[in-house]
Amino acid sequence: MGDTLSYFLMAWSDPWLLGLVATGTFAGIYIGAIPGLSVTMAVSILISFTFAWDINNALALMVGVFCGGVYGGSRTAILLNIPGAPSAVATAFDGYPLAQRGEAGQAIGLSTVMSVIGGMIGIAILAASAPVLSDMALQFAPRDYFLIAALGLLLVGSLAAESLARGIFAAALGGIIGMIGMDPVTAQGRFTFGSVDLLGGVHYVIVMIGLFGVAEALFQLHQLDTTPVRQKVDKIIPSLHLVLRFLPLSLRTSIIGVIIGALPGTGGDIAALFAYDHAKRTTKTPKVPFGEGAYEGLVAPESANNAAVGGAFVPMLTLGMPGDAVTAVIIGAMVVHGLNPGPMLMIETPHIFWFIVGALVLANICLLVFGLMGIKLFARVVELPRAILIPLILVLCVVGSYSINGSMTEVFWMLGFGLLGYFMKIFGFQMGPVILGVILGPLMDKTYRQAMASVGDSSSAFLMDLVTHPLSLILTAVVVLLLLSHTPVKRLWTRR
Amino acid sequence: MSTSPLKAGERAFNILLLLLSISILVVAYRISGFESVRSPGAFPMFLGCLLVLSMVVIIIGQRHHPRPKTTGHLGETRQFFRTHLPPRFMVFTLMTIGYLLLLTPLGFVPATLLFMFCAIVYLFRGRWVLSALVTVGATAIIYALFTLLFQVYLP
Repeated sequence: MGDTLSYFLMAWSDPWLLGLVATGTFAGIYIGAIPGLSVTMAVSILISFTFAWDINNALALMVGVFCGGVYGGSRTAILLNIPGAPSAVATAFDGYPLAQRGEAGQAIGLSTVMSVIGGMIGIAILAASAPVLSDMALQFAPRDYFLIAALGLLLVGSLAAESLARGIFAAALGGIIGMIGMDPVTAQGRFTFGSVDLLGGVHYVIVMIGLFGVAEALFQLHQLDTTPVRQKVDKIIPSLHLVLRFLPLSLRTSIIGVIIGALPGTGGDIAALFAYDHAKRTTKTPKVPFGEGAYEGLVAPESANNAAVGGAFVPMLTLGMPGDAVTAVIIGAMVVHGLNPGPMLMIETPHIFWFIVGALVLANICLLVFGLMGIKLFARVVELPRAILIPLILVLCVVGSYSINGSMTEVFWMLGFGLLGYFMKIFGFQMGPVILGVILGPLMDKTYRQAMASVGDSSSAFLMDLVTHPLSLILTAVVVLLLLSHTPVKRLWTRR
Repeated sequence: MSTSPLKAGERAFNILLLLLSISILVVAYRISGFESVRSPGAFPMFLGCLLVLSMVVIIIGQRHHPRPKTTGHLGETRQFFRTHLPPRFMVFTLMTIGYLLLLTPLGFVPATLLFMFCAIVYLFRGRWVLSALVTVGATAIIYALFTLLFQVYLP
């Protein structure tokens, strides 16, 4: 207990770590808020810069950026009707009408408080459930990991993309990219085309910087001339009465946020949409209709998307599976620093787990402080012209990708992935499934081969295992149902 | 099912992705063929099949979607370039490629100054003084931040 507390308080007692969490949160708010910059992009670039750092320093900064970024997106959604991050899309539905009604200050204040409440609930559930889950995860067989990874890819594919087929395509493409290089079992080259350079694989940070940094920067070229409409902001700190009025809704939607965030592959954006839908269905008589500036429509997504941050850490720290694109990137950072995200993390390096929990709580406190002040400066910074922002992002992407191995070839790879991502984005393919594919593809390959080895390479025994073990059976059923829900079978069933 | 009109070039892009998927499947097969159910090529082949199948489903699903409102393939190509590859995109991408090519011979600071200044002036359509100030300021901050704080190697 004493050890746990000291690990938890590590970020609080060390001024340097405290400063990094605070800096990360502050920067994250702006990164999340500035349209064109995303948390995933920032964390991807940060990994390359923090390679040489101590793991605690790197995690402190990333955790701060993650928490700040998820919240930051809501500010531009409220003030400019431009969600700074995907998780703030639902916030704009009622946040912007509130600002148009002259209540921008109240909306920002309330969203800040509700974000912090949601964030804290997420962290509490993470702290309570992760130790239990990681104990359970030690009993999981390779086939279960395979099924969980497949479920994650299917979920992100079906929820994040326009259609399941597009999602599956993107995830499978990511899986192939993740498998470029030497096969870890036989040392045979895969997708290397005889190139010795490719035997080491394409570093996933390169892929992430390309797909999230360069592609987004190029995409922003289309919105170069958009001028946001600035709203008047007055009183920010919300009254206690207002906070208490929406507290029950915030608590309910926070729990929704944690659950959705904890599903491998789903993140704050989906959690926020689910929470918004829940608020709409359960609020019978809102003072103002939804979509026209209902406070309920602001509280629900803001509580849920911040609660999803804690949720997303659950599968990452207990199973080694990313909850969303950002945690996929953070997994990469942990591996780079020699850590082993998964059930063994709690046994081998419990201090890392409790350090993350402590840093998350600290980041939420920083969020409350930074969220309720500096709004005037904020309004100026988020209006930074894209003509400056886009070349700046490009330079950061180049520096980030070069710093990994000091190779210009990898910088060109990054540009190549950026161009691929740009075209995929234009034609409706999302980048989230690609990144999850890059991380989960090799994991699925490994667990599939382990599962096959355990049944003597017998396909029928493998299939039987999927339906004869309770956990595997549940996971198989969920995967199959998810697949069927996208086929005509669902329509026939509903018609009956 | 939504039958929104296809974007200019969407069908061609999907066919290109299908061809890419088939090539990936072939390359995956060549890793170790049907040697064993857990050979190095088994899972890549499965992913290759998924790529091909999902792309076929996408292409078939779009067969009833109306084509973009253009006259013939030439018109669609023109619209594709106008919408997705406008001069601004092409010029900026070429600037970026030029920047990457110049990084090694010129070094980070001169190449970045040149790239940022040209890119900002081009995207701002002028405003030389502001662009020069932003370029110098941003390059100095990036250089100081990454060499002193992050201690990373710059190109």
